[in-house]
Amino acid sequence: MLYLPKVIAPSSALAAALLLLMFSTDIKAIPAFSRQYGTSCTTCHINFPKLNDFGKAFKDAGFKFPKDDESFLKVAPVMLGAPAQKEVWPHSVWPGQIPGVPPIGLRMNNFFQFTGANRKRFDALATPPTLPGFIPATDFETGFFSIFTAGNFGSDIAFWVDDDISVAGANANGGLGDAYLKFVNIGRVLKLPTDSLSLRAGQFELDLPVTQARNINLSPYDIYQESNIGAMNSMVPLQQNVNNQFTFSNGAKGIELSGGHTYGGYHYSVAIFNQNTSGISQSGIPYVPSATGGAGGGVGFASDSSFKNVYARLSYRFNLERDAESRNGVQAAGKMGPRDHTYLNVGTFYLEGRSLQRFFGAANSDGTQTILNVREPYSRLGGDFNFNYRSLNVYGVYVYGKDSNLLPVDANGALIPLPLSGSPVPVAFVSSEHATYHGGFLQADYMLLPWVMATWRWDSVHSEADRINALALASGTPYFGAFNSTRNRFSPGMQFLIHPNIKASFEYQFRPRQALKVAGDGVTTPVFAYDAFRVNTFLVGLEFVY
Amino acid sequence: MQKTILVSLIACLSLSAGNITGKVAAGKGNSVVYVDAIAGKTFPPPAKAQVMDQKSLLFQPHIVVVQAGSTVEFLNSDKVAHNIFWPSVGGNKKLTHNLGTWPTGEKRSFKFDTPGAVPLLCNVHPEMSGYVIVSPTPYFAMTDAEGNYKIADVPNGSYTVSAWHEGMKVQSKPVTVSGDAAADFALSK
Ligand SMILES: [Cu+2]
Repeated sequence: MLYLPKVIAPSSALAAALLLLMFSTDIKAIPAFSRQYGTSCTTCHINFPKLNDFGKAFKDAGFKFPKDDESFLKVAPVMLGAPAQKEVWPHSVWPGQIPGVPPIGLRMNNFFQFTGANRKRFDALATPPTLPGFIPATDFETGFFSIFTAGNFGSDIAFWVDDDISVAGANANGGLGDAYLKFVNIGRVLKLPTDSLSLRAGQFELDLPVTQARNINLSPYDIYQESNIGAMNSMVPLQQNVNNQFTFSNGAKGIELSGGHTYGGYHYSVAIFNQNTSGISQSGIPYVPSATGGAGGGVGFASDSSFKNVYARLSYRFNLERDAESRNGVQAAGKMGPRDHTYLNVGTFYLEGRSLQRFFGAANSDGTQTILNVREPYSRLGGDFNFNYRSLNVYGVYVYGKDSNLLPVDANGALIPLPLSGSPVPVAFVSSEHATYHGGFLQADYMLLPWVMATWRWDSVHSEADRINALALASGTPYFGAFNSTRNRFSPGMQFLIHPNIKASFEYQFRPRQALKVAGDGVTTPVFAYDAFRVNTFLVGLEFVY
Repeated sequence: MQKTILVSLIACLSLSAGNITGKVAAGKGNSVVYVDAIAGKTFPPPAKAQVMDQKSLLFQPHIVVVQAGSTVEFLNSDKVAHNIFWPSVGGNKKLTHNLGTWPTGEKRSFKFDTPGAVPLLCNVHPEMSGYVIVSPTPYFAMTDAEGNYKIADVPNGSYTVSAWHEGMKVQSKPVTVSGDAAADFALSK
């Protein structure tokens, strides 16, 4: 997982933007399961890492075949206690098992990029004697080398850990992706219906309507990358004190309750997880207490709000086969063999969080300074649909994001211009216009052949703040700066499975218009961008998992 | 009563028939040896169907040999959905056929009239591989692990005998049966 901050120092913005563009996919598929079950990737995936209906059922069941799992294992698990030990419990440890072979999958990808001729326009941004960086038309880059392990420890306890060992040729700057234990179907203890309650704990991707972690495209979904950073730009009249780093593509640290199935019927999840507004770890700060000894060799804790964010999702999938038996099966019974259902999945999701802003307040009589902590409530509300008919899959997600905007005021109740300069010091905060964004994506995947998939995607993000931020950055480089408040991106692509585990992907990206220069002083004339241009890119990815 | 007829039939055959034995060198796995079609002779197909199972994501057994005209019953013993199709029969792609899918514990039958090797595939589990070898005559045998085979009670006469092995070219050679006969094969890709 890559967690790049949204606000980037102008000098490195271009490089970071290119990195973000190229390496924010985080693809997962599990050859470890292939080895244990002696089966091909296509048992669970259509064009890995996209799951087919069987793959969804396998995942729902805690990385097990939904029925009769043991009979399919070609490598017997190692028993960590005889099953009969259960009879002596609690005077013995409840028996479990581990996979008979280390359940390890590895993955590597490489990229090649064409950048449109307009990239040379960036040269105009540098004023002599500064030499602009050179952007070549073609570029090779190494991608991710990742390890992932997953499986089931018996008693329906599933596990998953994935980590990027190296990214772009450098070591360990990708870090941990998902790492969790999932207690599948714990509801049976409470005599609840089968699969109605499971518990997951650790770090995980939120139960998003369309996964970012198993995204099949070369570029990430723009709406999942969107953080709500309000404008703190003295050139514009609308001041915002919102600096919330949360994005849906972040891994969430917390716990999640879920139930239902992703291959038919209802599915829900409720997650409670950390907020980390600034993205800063506290573990290096010696006076932050940590039960694990964060500054002295243990881990530190790095959330910055006592309020734990809550994310909830509810969806329902209507399988639309006429034949009842087929409709209720994991896969539909087609004339030419089992296949994915014709289905319509509709869902909604909601997130409630608090992002933290901190300021120095007035000095106390003893000379120490007060610190004002402002917790700004924020929410994300979304809806989604997913329709599948044979080889065609059309799906879309819409998100509306809203952050409360609490502006600092001085002792007289007057607004203090942002960014704060040290005086006057804030004493309180008043509510102002919310910082909002909205947008989403619409995607269509079509399997022309079992090994050829055409994809088409439209990303759209509307954020006034993004535009204002971009204008503010225009003297640096606004590579991702929006010329308009709405950024649209069109990304048609083709993907070819050379083997079930080797994929060549091609994606063209029609980028939004970039603001190259700004004019206007913001006082007598409004700030506006001019000399706008586009830099479109064509990206090739070559990926293998084993 | 039936037994008596059978015994006397075998006794009768043994006067003018023999075994074809030999060894097929073809690498790992079993090979199949059969007597090719005999001009002017037809054989009634056996009444009993053979079963090819799908179990633990495998075709079991890997190879089933039947006489032309026989019915093979395809069973699904797995608690997952399978499919069976074959891209060709004896290399003839026009004879491709798809049996679809059916629930656990159920069977679907197919009558194989055309001799040749039928590669069985499953379109949800592409690693699954099995074969039905359709012999033109009732005179066929599967080799043991070492490649030894024995086709019993072949009437005296001159025949073409063929050997098949997965992934290898079929090899045929003339064999004259007058009492016992021997034919060895060395197959290559
Ligand atoms: Cu199968």
